[in-house]
Amino acid sequence: MDFYFGLAQLIGVHTLLGLSAYIVLLTGQVSLAQAGFFAVGAYAAGMLTVLAGWHLVPALGVSALSGAAVACAVGFPALRVKGLMLVIATLAFGEGVRLFFFNFDYQIAKGGIQVGPLGGEGFRQIRFFPENGWETGEVMLFIWVFVAAAMALLWWFDRSRYGTVLRAVGEDEIAAQSMGINLTAVKVSAMTVGGAIAGIGGGLYAHYTTHIEHASFSILLATFAIAYPIVGGLRSVFGTLLAVIFVQGFLVEGLRFLGDWRNLLFGALIVLAMNLRPSGILGRRRA
Amino acid sequence: MLELRTLSRHFGGVRAVDGLDLTVQEGQIFGLIGPNGSGKSTTVNVITGLFPPTSGAIVFRGQDIAGLPTHLRLREGIARTFQNIRLFGQLSVWQNLWVAQNSAQDLARQGFFARWLGGQRGVREEIGRLLEFSGLAHKRDELAANLAFGEQRRLELARAMAAKPKLLLLDEPAAGMNSEEIGQLRSRILKLRESGVTILLVEHVMELVMGVTDRIAVLNFGQKIAEGTPGEIQAHPAVRKAYLGGEAA
Amino acid sequence: MLDFFQTLSDGVLFGATYALIGIGFTLVFGVMHKINMAYAAASVGGAYAGLLVLKVMATAPPALVFFCAFLAGGLLGWMVYVACFHFIPLSSPLATLMSTVGMLLLIDEVIVHVTDGMPQGYPAMFDDVMLRAGEFSMRGDLLLVFGVSVLAMIGLLLLLYRTRLGLATRAVSQQPVAAQLCGIRLVRVNALTFIVTGLLGGLAGALIGASVGTLSPLLTVPLTVKGLIVTVIGGLGSVPGAIVAGLLVGGFENVLQLYRGVTERDLYVMLLLFVFLVFRPGGIFAARGGRD
Repeated sequence: MDFYFGLAQLIGVHTLLGLSAYIVLLTGQVSLAQAGFFAVGAYAAGMLTVLAGWHLVPALGVSALSGAAVACAVGFPALRVKGLMLVIATLAFGEGVRLFFFNFDYQIAKGGIQVGPLGGEGFRQIRFFPENGWETGEVMLFIWVFVAAAMALLWWFDRSRYGTVLRAVGEDEIAAQSMGINLTAVKVSAMTVGGAIAGIGGGLYAHYTTHIEHASFSILLATFAIAYPIVGGLRSVFGTLLAVIFVQGFLVEGLRFLGDWRNLLFGALIVLAMNLRPSGILGRRRA
Repeated sequence: MLELRTLSRHFGGVRAVDGLDLTVQEGQIFGLIGPNGSGKSTTVNVITGLFPPTSGAIVFRGQDIAGLPTHLRLREGIARTFQNIRLFGQLSVWQNLWVAQNSAQDLARQGFFARWLGGQRGVREEIGRLLEFSGLAHKRDELAANLAFGEQRRLELARAMAAKPKLLLLDEPAAGMNSEEIGQLRSRILKLRESGVTILLVEHVMELVMGVTDRIAVLNFGQKIAEGTPGEIQAHPAVRKAYLGGEAA
Repeated sequence: MLDFFQTLSDGVLFGATYALIGIGFTLVFGVMHKINMAYAAASVGGAYAGLLVLKVMATAPPALVFFCAFLAGGLLGWMVYVACFHFIPLSSPLATLMSTVGMLLLIDEVIVHVTDGMPQGYPAMFDDVMLRAGEFSMRGDLLLVFGVSVLAMIGLLLLLYRTRLGLATRAVSQQPVAAQLCGIRLVRVNALTFIVTGLLGGLAGALIGASVGTLSPLLTVPLTVKGLIVTVIGGLGSVPGAIVAGLLVGGFENVLQLYRGVTERDLYVMLLLFVFLVFRPGGIFAARGGRD
């Protein structure tokens, strides 16, 4: 049973990551910075519970805030450029964050051992869950509370004028601007909300794996982040969830019996899926 | 209402608009005509802020708005339609109008949360009226991209109206329409004027321009070559020359 | 001070390979307005394929290995085109982006699978030659890398500006619709662009292998990032920009490696990119349409 709980934890965290890219994608921006926000949230929450002895819930609050703050700060300069330039700018930012944590040491002695992030070694012993006696199932439920909240928030956005404006900006920036929409405010706000969601996802990830290192937040993770909403389609938040289940549940876990060949199949399947359904599994309705 | 003072916009060496002076009075329907490439659309784009002017002033209701970003010009009361129809194709008809409700009145009326995160309830009636006016009420939930060409033109006009403009810039609204549709457009434009909207009409279709405008300016190579009532313009020798064939005629 | 110039010159020489990778990204962007994320991976793949020669003929000269990498790169470029671009409509930019990322992962995994993840030694030429001027020296193998890269760039520029194919390519990148009306077959130009950039990539991969001494699948992602950074700094779509930016990034990172160490080096390269994005988003030569 623990195996399935573990898988559900992973799916939950990746759904948060996918949703953070989803809201940015609605405005027509492809951001490969989401793994960076995720990393910021992971390190922030981990340091607060391990080094400062905080409870996880307020630490996650700080994860969300720091993810949002970094996203907002990145948003202003990065959104000056559009389209493919933005892809590259955010990709470089994500790599920058990873390299920052690769060089980041902050250790203190606690109970006779050194704890805290240690450069390339990573950040071990994030033991909030085991120390407080949480079972895998409880951790999974805890994670899914956040997933449900994030999905509800974005689902609500989609029904509000805000979500409609996001999609309008994604459709045609010139028309949106001419109809009185402040492009910068809208794009940066989407980026900020995405940063907050990714931050929470990162904080949860740090605690259920108990060990994070820079390599976990590579371009591969950033690619996963945008792959989920693209594969799932931008029509609704459920597409992203379905895509995460498909990728993590079916492709990664379900094909484990293929051993080495699974990794080969993974790339090939993405290529194939995009050839067959360029607008995603639950793609947009087309004219 | 709107005054352009020696307005210029150059693209490299091309003077798309070159020292244009223009005054549109409140309540007027002002026509802007000229051959292709004479700078009409550029003028509209400069007025709405998509291009900054190279030089000159844009005075709207006593205030120079040349430095104002595009989205704030709408709040001042300038809305437009596009020559090549730019709807939000994957949004429904009524969502297209919902998105456009950014006028100063709308901002004053609703609080931040109701405005951004509230549902459609508060605005349903107003959008309904606009759809009625444009004859699109039955297509309310259709995706804009799936509308017929004439319907898309109507929706674009309705979307501009949803922003409650004081000045409406129509960029070739009759392009591609048949004469029955032009008749409907004409009566809509006249109705809009009655409701107090000033209109700057950029158009090629003389049937429409001569029928509805109070005053017309003619552009050629970015410069104004004539201005007057429709009657005066039709009789103007420079206009005939510009339309009928450059220097040779 | 000597250290500084020594490091700078080594970096600039090696930067020629970044310039080649940057040209590959920028040409595809110019012609199709798409980014081929699989490009650097395909280049490394081409370099690996060159090693197959040594399996057949253990005594093959390095030049033959380079040439085979060059050809294999072209073949891989064409395969990437067919798998990721040919059948996906131009109106789905996200789909091509994702499919090329999928291709990147696939190429990476194939390399890992075939080599069991072990780094492979790569043959070099002139690695025992050293040009000296007092204390200052230039490594022969790096000079070769630089020289071959420059020749490849000259070849490319001749191709672009002196042949019908180049004319068609430039026409498509400026006015795709008008170019089609003039009887240029868009699909063919697109495919040929991928083959030509693939050839350059395979060569670049081999030269990188030769100057580093080994090839490893760990190269692909950093090389993708470097290539993209070079492309942006040079201005998307600008070939001369990519060349200058490649040399610039090569020199810059090597100097920072000297002063700040190898782990921090790339952090500063990212910062360099952000400086460009904020102050000169169009790139060094601010090519037309570079902001999109």
